[in-house]
Amino acid sequence: MSYLNALRLHFAGRFQANVSTVNNDPAHFDNAAFKSSYQNLQGPKMSPPNGWFNPQGDAAWRFLGCKVTAAWMPTGAVTSGDPVLGYIVADTDGRVPAKLVDAFADIWDRATGSVEGDVGAGAMYQSVLTNLQWCDVSASPFLSALRQAARTGLLSIKFNVDGLIMDNTSPDFMTGRIVGSIGPATASEPRHMVVGRQFMATTAGPDVQANFFKPLGAINFCSAVVDETASCIYLDLGNALSTAAPGGAINPQGDLTLSICDPTALPGDPAGTKVAIGVIPTSGAGGYVQNPNWYADTAGIVSLPLSPVQLQAVASSPLLISGDAGVWISESSSSSFVRADRFVYRMSPDETVEIPVYAMRFGKPLAGVGVNFQLDSSQLQTQVGQVSSDSPYVAPSPPVAVPEDALAFNPTAVTDSNGLAVLTLHTRDPGTPRFFNNGTDYGIDGQVYGVRPAFSDAQTYNGPVNQWNFISILLWSGFTPANPVTWTDLQPIFQQYANLYPVMNRFLDLGNYDAVVKNARLLLLAFGLHPEDPNSMPVTRDLSPAKRNAILAWLKNPLPGEVPARANTADIPEPAVGNLTGLAMPKGGKAAAAARRLILRKQ
Amino acid sequence: MFLVHRSLLQGITGPSITPQGVCATLQSAIKLEHATIPPYLYALYSLDAGKNRQIADILQSVVVEEMLHMTLASNVLNALGGAPEIDTPNFIPTYPGPLPGGIEGDLTVNLAPFSMTQLKTFLRIEEPEDPLVYRSLAANPVESHVTIGQFYTAISDAIATLGDGAFVNPPRNQVGPDLMRESVVVVNVATAQQAINTIIEQGEGTTTSPLEGGGIVDAPAHYYRFMEIQKGYQLVADTTAPGGYAYNGAPIPFDPTGVYPVTTNPALCPYPPGSVQASANNNFNYTYTSLLSALHALFNGDASQNRMNIAIGLMMSLKGQAKAMMAGIPDPTVFTGPSFEYQPVNPGISG
Repeated sequence: MSYLNALRLHFAGRFQANVSTVNNDPAHFDNAAFKSSYQNLQGPKMSPPNGWFNPQGDAAWRFLGCKVTAAWMPTGAVTSGDPVLGYIVADTDGRVPAKLVDAFADIWDRATGSVEGDVGAGAMYQSVLTNLQWCDVSASPFLSALRQAARTGLLSIKFNVDGLIMDNTSPDFMTGRIVGSIGPATASEPRHMVVGRQFMATTAGPDVQANFFKPLGAINFCSAVVDETASCIYLDLGNALSTAAPGGAINPQGDLTLSICDPTALPGDPAGTKVAIGVIPTSGAGGYVQNPNWYADTAGIVSLPLSPVQLQAVASSPLLISGDAGVWISESSSSSFVRADRFVYRMSPDETVEIPVYAMRFGKPLAGVGVNFQLDSSQLQTQVGQVSSDSPYVAPSPPVAVPEDALAFNPTAVTDSNGLAVLTLHTRDPGTPRFFNNGTDYGIDGQVYGVRPAFSDAQTYNGPVNQWNFISILLWSGFTPANPVTWTDLQPIFQQYANLYPVMNRFLDLGNYDAVVKNARLLLLAFGLHPEDPNSMPVTRDLSPAKRNAILAWLKNPLPGEVPARANTADIPEPAVGNLTGLAMPKGGKAAAAARRLILRKQ
Repeated sequence: MFLVHRSLLQGITGPSITPQGVCATLQSAIKLEHATIPPYLYALYSLDAGKNRQIADILQSVVVEEMLHMTLASNVLNALGGAPEIDTPNFIPTYPGPLPGGIEGDLTVNLAPFSMTQLKTFLRIEEPEDPLVYRSLAANPVESHVTIGQFYTAISDAIATLGDGAFVNPPRNQVGPDLMRESVVVVNVATAQQAINTIIEQGEGTTTSPLEGGGIVDAPAHYYRFMEIQKGYQLVADTTAPGGYAYNGAPIPFDPTGVYPVTTNPALCPYPPGSVQASANNNFNYTYTSLLSALHALFNGDASQNRMNIAIGLMMSLKGQAKAMMAGIPDPTVFTGPSFEYQPVNPGISG
C-alpha cells in the first residue's frame, strides 16, 4: 500500500522552501577567503560576488493555503457530504515549521517555455507521516477509513513541487506550487518509493541543453500500481507532465493512451505492437487539458479500469504511455527496476550501515536476482581547475568522491523473497580532502560519494537508467579535538556557520567567542536536540557527531584557547566587475549545482 | 504611571476573600504581563542592533523578565488550583488600546517602532508609585486606581489572608527554576509572596533601591532601565548624588537612523491581502499563536523540558521572523511590522 491506492486524498496549494544560498558556492566554505559581500543579496549579474538569491534564508518549509481537493475510497469519489473536502493541509501549530534538509527525487526541466534553471524545475518527494494523532473523525467516512487503514501508525505522502518563485520582491518569494496525495502505508514496504510499475524516461540526449533532465519522450519518470482487487491501475503522472510556464497549466500532448506492449517489441517504439487499455483524455470533465482544476484535483493520479484479460496481460507485459507524436514513456523492456528506498546517508568513520535496495518486475518484488553496487560520482557536484569568467563561483571547489577507499562495500548481493538486497557499507576516515589551500585551510567537512545499484544481469534486465537513482553518502572526517576542548578547535566550525548562514546574525555572531559564550545556554539546547527536531542546530544537519559532541562538551565549559585574530575577510582581491559582465542572470542554486555534475563537465 | 482599575481588586479585598477571587485576579495579572511584551518586542526588533545595541540589550533584558513574570503569576494561579488561559483570542490586547485592567483613556499603548515617544509609554507602564532618585509624581493616585505594584501587593495580602490551606499540595503544574531561571515553585503563602515580590521588584525596584531585589543580575528595575535610555546614561551608584544613584555612567546613545521604517499599529490598517507584508505577517502571527498554545500547555500540566524547548524554539522563530521582516528582508524596500494578532490558521499567501 501507499498513497497510490484506492483510499487516498489529494491536496493542492503552495509551499515555501526558504533555503539559504550562501552555501551554493562550495568556495564560500573557505573561511580564510570568505568576504562579507558573500552574504549580500545578489545584484545584477552576480557582481560583485555575493550570497546568491536568498542569503537570508532560514530553511523553513511551510504549507501555505493547501486545501484538500479530492478524496477517494474503494467505493469511488468522496462526495461533498464528507467534511474532509473542506479541510486544509497545514503546518503544525504545536511547534516551529519544518526545515528543509534533504534532497528530492526526479528533478527535471518541467517548464518548457523560455525559463532557466530552478524556476522551471519540477520534482517530487515521497515519504511517510509518523507520530499520527487523530481527533474525532467519525463525521468523515473517508478519514474514518484512513484511520482504520493507518493502524500501522504510518501514512504515505507524496507531493510534487514546481514553479519556484525566485524574485525577492514577490510575495511568493521562495514559494511554489505543490500538489500531493496521502494514503495508507504498511510498515514493511519502502517509504520513499512505490513498489509498482516504473516508467523510465530516456534523456533527450547530449545535444539538448538541460538544467536537470529533459526526457526524450516529453514525459518524466513516473510510477503506477495495479490493484488486482479493484481491477484497475493507478497511474501517477504528478511529476511527469510538463507545463509551458513554471507552475502553470499542463501542456497539451494529446490523449494519453496506456498500452500493453508486445514484450518482443522495443519499448517506446510506435511501430511495436501495442494494445491500448485506457486513455487519459485531454478534453471533457476529466480532461487533463480542458479541466483547469485537473492537476489540483487529481495530483496527477488517474485510475483506469482493467478487464480480467487486461489484468492478466499487464502482469507479464511492459506498459507504455503515449500521446501526440513524440510523446511517450515506457517501462524497460523487462519491466524491471531496482532502487534504494532511502538514498541519503550521513556517516562517521568506522561505521557500518545496511542499505536495503528493492528490485521489482511487473510491479512485483523480484526475488533471487543479483544486484551490483558501484561507486558512481557522475551526479556529484564538483568543479576543478580554473573558474571561468562566466561562472557564478568565486573559486574552484574541492574534489568529490576521493579517496575512494574510504568506503568498502559488497560489490554484489542477491535479492531475497521480498525482492530486497542489502548493500553493506563500511566507512573509514576520509581525512580532509575538501579543505582549501592544499588542505591547510579549514573547509568542507568530510567527503561525498555516490553508489549506484544495478542488476547484475544487464542483458535480461536492461533499460534506461534514471540518473538520479543513486545512493548519496556524506562521510564525515574524523575529528579529535584537544582535551579539554577549547575555542581553538571549534572556532573554524562556528565561523563557517556564521559565514554561510547570515540568518544567525539575527541571534548572535557565531564566530565571536564572547557572543557564543553569552548564548551558551541556548546553543546547548539547540545543538543537543535530536536532528529530527526542527529547532536542531545546524539547520543543514551537516555537523558530524564527533564535532557535535565536542561542541556540547565545550558549551558546558567554554575554555577560550588561543585563537588568532578572526580571519573571515581574506586579502584576496574582489574579481574585477568586468570579468563577470558576460554572465547571464544566475539560474538558481539547484540548476547551477546540477551544472557542476561531473558527467556534464566531461561532456 | 500606569494605573490599574480598582475593580480588578474585587474579590481580593474586603472581608470575603476567596481562592476563586484571587485566581481571577491572577488571570488578569498574567494577561497584563503578556500585554507589555508585544510593544516591547516591536520596539526591540525595529532597532538596527548594529546602531542601537545598548538600547536593544535593555529592551531585551526587560522582555525576558516580563516572560518570567507571566510564569510566576501562572505558578501562583496553578498553586491555588486555577488554570491559566492563554491560547484564546481575547488573551491578546488590541493595539492601539489600553492595557488589560487599565483606566480607560489613561494610557493608550501602540505597537510602534522605537522612539523617545514610545519610550515614554514604556516608562509610564513601569513607573512605580513613588519613583526613587529623580522624580516623584506630584499627584497621588486617586482612590479608584492602583499602580501595578499596588495591584500585586493587594494580591500578596489576599494570599496571606487565604493562608497555606488554600494551596494545592503536592506542587501543581509548576514551571520551576530548572526550566526558567529565577522561577519559584509555589506551594504556600511564603513561596507565593516570593514569586510576587520578584515581579514587583523587577518591575519597579524595591522601595529603597532602584535595583532589583532578588534577581541574579544586579540590574536596575525596568523603570530605571528605561530611564537610562531616556537620560542617555547608565544608572550607577554615586555617593554624592541624592539617593545614592545618578544617571552619569557610560553613555547609552540613541541613533534615530538605526530604526527601521515600520508602520505603527499594523492591525489598524491591515496589510493588503496577497502582499509581501501580509504574507510575512501571516507567518509571524501563526507562529505567535502557536507560541501561545505551547505556553498554555506548559502552564497547564505539561511543565516538561520538551514543552519548554518547543516554546523556546517558537520564541526564537518569532525573533528571527520579526527581525527579518522589520529589517527589509528579503525585499530591502519593504519593511513589515508584525501585528501580533491571533491567527490559528495560516491563510497563506492569498490571505
